[in-house]
Amino acid sequence: MGSLTSLLYTARDSLTAQSYGLNVTGQNITNVNTPGYVRRDPLLETRALGTATTGSVVATGLRRATDIYIERRELSALGTSSAASEHDSQLAGVEALFNDLSGTGMGSALDNLFSSFSALASNPNDPTTRAAVLGAAGAFADRANALANALSDSKNELLKQAQETAAQINEKANSISELNRRIVAAEAQGQDAADLKDQRNSVLLDLGKLVDIRTIPDDKGSIIVQASGTSLVDGTDVRPISVDLNADGSLKILSNRGSTSTEITQFLSGGKLAGIKEARDVDIFDVASKLDKLVFDVGTAINTQHAAGFGADGGTGRNLFDLGPTVDGAGRAIRLGAAVAGNPAAVAAAADPASVPGGTGNAVALANIWKTPLSDGRTASESYGDLVGGIGQRKSAVAQAVETQNAIKEQIQAMREAMSGVSLDEEMVSLTKYQRAYEAAGRVLSTVDELMQDLINRVGR
Amino acid sequence: MRVTEGMKYSQVLRNLGNITSQHAEASQEASTGIRVNKPSDDPIAAAQIARLRANSSQTDAHLNTINTVRGDAELTEATLASATDIFARLKELAVQGANGNNSAEDRKTMSVEVAGLKEALIQLGNTRGNRGYLFSGSQVKTPAFDGNGVFQGDDVEQLVPIGNSTPTSVSTSGSQAFVVAGGRNVFADVDALVTALSTNDQLGIQASVDDIGASHAQLVDAQARSGLVLSKLDASQSVLDSVDTEQQKAAQAAGAADPYESYTRFTSLGQSLERAIAVSKQILDLGGQNRF
Repeated sequence: MGSLTSLLYTARDSLTAQSYGLNVTGQNITNVNTPGYVRRDPLLETRALGTATTGSVVATGLRRATDIYIERRELSALGTSSAASEHDSQLAGVEALFNDLSGTGMGSALDNLFSSFSALASNPNDPTTRAAVLGAAGAFADRANALANALSDSKNELLKQAQETAAQINEKANSISELNRRIVAAEAQGQDAADLKDQRNSVLLDLGKLVDIRTIPDDKGSIIVQASGTSLVDGTDVRPISVDLNADGSLKILSNRGSTSTEITQFLSGGKLAGIKEARDVDIFDVASKLDKLVFDVGTAINTQHAAGFGADGGTGRNLFDLGPTVDGAGRAIRLGAAVAGNPAAVAAAADPASVPGGTGNAVALANIWKTPLSDGRTASESYGDLVGGIGQRKSAVAQAVETQNAIKEQIQAMREAMSGVSLDEEMVSLTKYQRAYEAAGRVLSTVDELMQDLINRVGR
Repeated sequence: MRVTEGMKYSQVLRNLGNITSQHAEASQEASTGIRVNKPSDDPIAAAQIARLRANSSQTDAHLNTINTVRGDAELTEATLASATDIFARLKELAVQGANGNNSAEDRKTMSVEVAGLKEALIQLGNTRGNRGYLFSGSQVKTPAFDGNGVFQGDDVEQLVPIGNSTPTSVSTSGSQAFVVAGGRNVFADVDALVTALSTNDQLGIQASVDDIGASHAQLVDAQARSGLVLSKLDASQSVLDSVDTEQQKAAQAAGAADPYESYTRFTSLGQSLERAIAVSKQILDLGGQNRF
C-alpha cells in the first residue's frame, strides 16, 4: 500500500527517467550528421523495490541500434568499392598517356616515322628529306621514352602510395587497439561505452576503405579486426602491415608480428591497397610490357632493313635506332642510333652501293615495314591500336565495376542508415513524448504537494 | 522501413550527382559532336580510329610522295618533248641537206646549225629536276651526259611507294631515251649528220636521214613512256584522294556523336536535372521549416 511520500518518490523517479529520455533524444538530434554515430534508445524499466509494488521507473541505460551483420557487409562493400575506385582513377592516368584522340600517345609519331621513309623515296638526294627521317626517328624514340618513363614513374608513385596506405592502415589499427582498451576498461567498471564504440565504428569505416577487413566482437566489448584474412588488431595487440617489392618488381604485402613477417598479398581483396596493387601490378605492368614489345619489334624491323641499305656516303650496316639488348625495357632504352645521329648522309635510302646517291630501293623497303606483320602477326599500327583499345577496354570495365560496387555499397549503407541512422521526425515525436511525460510527472508532484498541504492545514487547525 | 535524415541527404546528393555528371557528359557530346574523347568511351571505336588514322596518314604520305615526284615527271616529259622537237628540225635539215641543189657552203652552214642542236640536245639530257639530274638514273649528282654525249649515269629506276602492291617506277631511263640501251645513240646519229654535212657527203647525208628518223622515233617512245608515268601518278592520286576522304570520314564517323540523338539526350537530361533539383528542394524543405 503506497503512501503520499512514496508517490512523491515515484514522481521524482519519473522526472529523472523522462529527462534521461530527453537527454538521449537530444544526443540523437545533436548527432544527426555525425559519421559512425549509432542511434540510441533509452531503456526504461519499472523499478522493483523489495517485494512491494511501487510502480516507479528507472532508466537502466541505453541501447545502440546496430546490426553486426549489416556492419560487416558494409565494411566488405566499402572495401570492394574503394578498391574499384582507386583502380579506376589510376587507370584514368594511364589512359590519358595513350589518348591519341587528344594528341598524346605515340600513334602519330609512329605514322610520321613511316611517312618520312616514303618522303625519302621521293627525293633521296635531298639532305632535308634525309634529316626529316632522322627527325621523325628521334621523335619516335623520344615519345617511346616519355611513355615508358611515365609508366615507370607511375609504378614508383604507386609503390609510395601503397606504403603510405599501409602506414594509414597501421595508424587506424593503433586507434582501434586504443579504443578497444578503453571500451573494455569502461565496461568493466559498468560504464556506458556507446561514444567510444561510435568512435571505433567511425575508425573502422575509414579502415574499411583502405583494406578489406572483417570484424569479430568478443564478450568484453573488444573486437578482433582481420585485414585480408589475417589478424590486424586482436584486443590491444596490433600486427602492422608493410609493403615491399618482389624480385619481379611487383608489390608484396606483409603482416608483421615482432620480427616475423607473413606474406598476405594473395589474400588482399579490397580497399585502396588492393586497387593500387591491381592497377600497378596487373595493368601498368601489362601496358609497359606491350609498349616495350611494340617498340622493340618496330625498332628491330627498321634496324634490320636500315642496316641492309646504303647511305649517301656509301656506308652500310648502320642501325637507325640504338635498342637495348632485350625486349624488357626497350621503351626506355630506345634512342636515335649513334651511328646516324646528326649525320643525314647515313640514312640508307639506296639498296646497293652502285645506286648511291639516288637509289630508293631501301627507302621503299623501310616504308613497306608499315604494312608488314611483326613478330605477333600484327602490323605496327595494328599492334598500337590493340594496345590503346586494350587500355580503353580495361578502363571502361573498371569504370563499370565502380558503378556496380558503388550501387551495392549505397544499398548496404541505406540498410545501415535504416537500422542505425537518426530520423529527426522520430526524434521530434520522442521529444514530445518525454516532454509530456515530464510535465505529467510534474503534475503528480504538485498534486501530492497539494494533498500534503491540505493535510497539514487540516491537522494544524 | 525507417527513413532517416542521412538517407534523405545521401539520396538527394547521389541523384543530383548522377544527373549532373550525365548532363555534363551529354552537353560536351552535343556541343563538340564527338562521342569518343578517350579510349574508354568506346574501346572498339578507339582502336578502329587509331587504325583508320594510321591508314589515312600513310595515304597522305603517298599523296605527298606523288606531289613531290610529279614535278620531275612533268619536267621529264616536257624535256623529252623538246628533244623530239629538235629531232623534227634535224629531220628537216637532213632531208634538205640530202637535196642535190645544195652547195658545199649551204651544207656547211647547215652543219653548224646541226652541231648547235646537238649541244641543245645534250643540255636537255642534262636537265636537273627536284631530285637532281633527271636522266642519270641513281647517279643524280652526275650529269647524264658529258660534252660528247657519253652516258655517265646508270639504269637504276627511281622507285616510290604510292600505295600500289609493288613500288612504282617514276623515272625515265636516260640511256634508253638517248643512247644505245634504247637501240640508237642519238648523239652519234647527230654527229654523223654533222660530219656528212660538213664534208659535203651527199650519200652520208641520205643515210643519216633514216638514222635521224630512227632516233626521233626512239625519243618519241621515251616521251610516251614518261607520259605513262604521269598518267600512272594521276590514276594513283585520284584513287588515293578518294581513299583518303573515305578513311577520314570513317575515322570521324567512328568517333562522332549522332547530332539528333545527342541533342535529344542533352535536352531530356536538362529537364531531368531541373526536376531533380525541384524534388530535392522539396525533400529537404519537408519538415525542415515546419516540424511540429
